[in-house]
Amino acid sequence: MTSIQGILIACFLMAAILASIAFRSRLVYRLLAVVLFLSATVFVFFPDLTTVIARSLGVGRGADLLLYLSLIAGIHIALLLYRRTRELERRMAQLVRAAAIRDAQMNPQ
Amino acid sequence: MERCDVFVVIPAFNENSVIGSTVADIVNRGYTAVVVDDGSTVPVENFLIGLPVYRLRHAINLGQGAALRTGSDFALLKGARIIVHFDADGQHDPALIERLIAPIRSGKADVALGSRFLTDSDSHEVPAVKRVLLKAGVFVSWVFTGMWLSDAHNGFRALSRAAAEKIRLEENGFAHATEILELVRRSRLTWVEVPVTIHYTDYSRGKGQSVLNSFNILIDLMLRRLFH
Repeated sequence: MTSIQGILIACFLMAAILASIAFRSRLVYRLLAVVLFLSATVFVFFPDLTTVIARSLGVGRGADLLLYLSLIAGIHIALLLYRRTRELERRMAQLVRAAAIRDAQMNPQ
Repeated sequence: MERCDVFVVIPAFNENSVIGSTVADIVNRGYTAVVVDDGSTVPVENFLIGLPVYRLRHAINLGQGAALRTGSDFALLKGARIIVHFDADGQHDPALIERLIAPIRSGKADVALGSRFLTDSDSHEVPAVKRVLLKAGVFVSWVFTGMWLSDAHNGFRALSRAAAEKIRLEENGFAHATEILELVRRSRLTWVEVPVTIHYTDYSRGKGQSVLNSFNILIDLMLRRLFH
């Protein structure tokens, strides 16, 4: 095992553990994290596999395929987070507005 | 319908004493005023001492759209028959409220939208840069709602109780002006444009929308389409 392989495996393992803690109540996400970890490990030990897959998709190198995939994943994550932020903002606004109506006052004259 | 059944909702954010005279003028005419302080640093109530108005305050700043919704919800709870949206910065003339709500009183329309471009004298009041921007706004509104108006983002408008019950703003920021039109359209409400004079002062100009902010509003509108 080369040192980069060791580093990568350690990082993936850490990410998988964190993900399974973060998604404790969501089984699908947890399983997805495990599947991602396992396939990442396979590719770390057999890097040539990525090139085989890339070639079959018409991409020159395995590293390029990974780059494209991570780009798509990155955009997807950004959109998911944006949607979640909007939802949080909406709920916060509901709270603030409800409190304002509850505490409404007629000015003393 | 009594004048006190007409609720004038005034969103306020970091205002100065101008709001005091604006609100005084409104209540002296017999309307019910609802001031929604949108989380101002210096609470707006300091400028409203002695005025018979309802005061509501957002704990944090949410945006004008949210303040209008809070004020409207409250007005509906208090039995408002007509709800008027009114700016705090002295741009709007309380004397024109009666003209604005006339089509609603007579049952001619559910929603009355103020327009700066229906008479020559009104449109001359609008600064040139603003005029170009507003015409672009008219086009954008048309793209998003299919309604071709003479004015865009004019905050002076009135809604019947039935219309206000249907128009539930989700847009917290300034995109609410287009959102209102969307909801008017979707709820098949009848609407009419009413000529209003907008008085531009240095103070109101400082508080108004900058050119840059119009792009923000446009992006808000597009995101709204994507995520709703």
